[in-house]
Amino acid sequence: MAKKISGYIKLQIPAGQANPSPPVGPALGQKGVNIMEFCKQFNAKTADKGGLKIPVVITVYADKSFTFITKTPPAAVLLMKTLNLDKGSSEPNKIKVAKVTRTQLQEIAETKMPDLNANDIDHAINMIAGTARSMGITVVD
Amino acid sequence: MKTHKQFNISASPFDPDVLSGLLWQLDIEGITENENSLSVYADEKSEVSVVQISDMLNSLKDQNMIASFSIDESSVEEKNWNEEWEKTIDVIEVNDKIVIKPTFRDYSPKPEQLVITIDPKMSFGTGEHETTKLVLNLLDKYIDKGISVLDVGSGTGVLSIAASLLGAEHVIGIDNDEWCLENGLENVELNKVNEKVEIKLAEIYDVDEEPFDLILANINKHILVDIADRIYQLTKNSGKAILSGLLIEDKTDITELYNSKGFSLVEEEILGEWVALVFQK
Repeated sequence: MAKKISGYIKLQIPAGQANPSPPVGPALGQKGVNIMEFCKQFNAKTADKGGLKIPVVITVYADKSFTFITKTPPAAVLLMKTLNLDKGSSEPNKIKVAKVTRTQLQEIAETKMPDLNANDIDHAINMIAGTARSMGITVVD
Repeated sequence: MKTHKQFNISASPFDPDVLSGLLWQLDIEGITENENSLSVYADEKSEVSVVQISDMLNSLKDQNMIASFSIDESSVEEKNWNEEWEKTIDVIEVNDKIVIKPTFRDYSPKPEQLVITIDPKMSFGTGEHETTKLVLNLLDKYIDKGISVLDVGSGTGVLSIAASLLGAEHVIGIDNDEWCLENGLENVELNKVNEKVEIKLAEIYDVDEEPFDLILANINKHILVDIADRIYQLTKNSGKAILSGLLIEDKTDITELYNSKGFSLVEEEILGEWVALVFQK
């Protein structure tokens, strides 16, 4: 019989670097989950992702055991990685910090597709383009 | 005690992917996604502020990506968040020889059994995890009376204490986490191995002792890759290193790297999805 689920925890943390500090400690601790075991598993499974910020959804069962799945990083994180940017523009309307091509947007959209609320790839590209513009990244053909 | 900044951020419409993606441009530690808001955490020394976050969210407003937002700042004092779970720890018979228990459980050992008392405090190493069991299983075979041992990433101190009780003469356990220093010292005291086991707050590069007969490192692939050279330097000729915290799929990469440094793989042990590797210099 399937184990009874007591709840879900959604976090975003750098790959390979989970530790008991917030957000991990308070979020897991209050559900009685062994924080140290989560950190060990998460860090082992994401060690190759070099600190990329990744969402993780943890399913907590009634017996305090847990499983987790990792999701694709937020679009802005992927844009910064693709364009080798540390951060976006502080005034995105006035100051442009980088350019992103449609091809690059499409690659990011394809990566993000499983986790996006998009009807099709064009819709997904438009969503990523919106994020890009909000960071002062110009979309070029 | 260390504190962390906490910002609770809500926005309408609420799109966690867009919001969190932008927030990661700031110097933050991580994010909790709630039903209709995000909790964002930053180190107390981080420059992140309500003003900084407002600027960012205002630019989203300018782009018509959100209509409104609110930000509340508070602070979180660090404490033992693992306490709830720690109350549920039971006695663990790791193998025929080693038993680990917290002080609040009773256990009557059979002859030949070694009982290690560990009261963890937000530190890794209660004996429950496969990666700890793997090293403990290998220790009995690789500890000769009188040897010196370095335990890298000592956590609760469980491996250092076990090494000492199995016959090592001098054990140094290092960890870069303050909780682990405090907890390691407490557990060393509980097991009365103070004369043979030293626990220090240190990185492996701070260790300035002579090379060791045996190095233990139950960490993860990423760090074991980074410190491979240093582990080699700190291992005596013909000495050994037991590496754990590795998934079975990590074995090939780690073995190739450690071979290239001058080690040879002499044994491996698997438990569940984890593997421990024994290398000799």
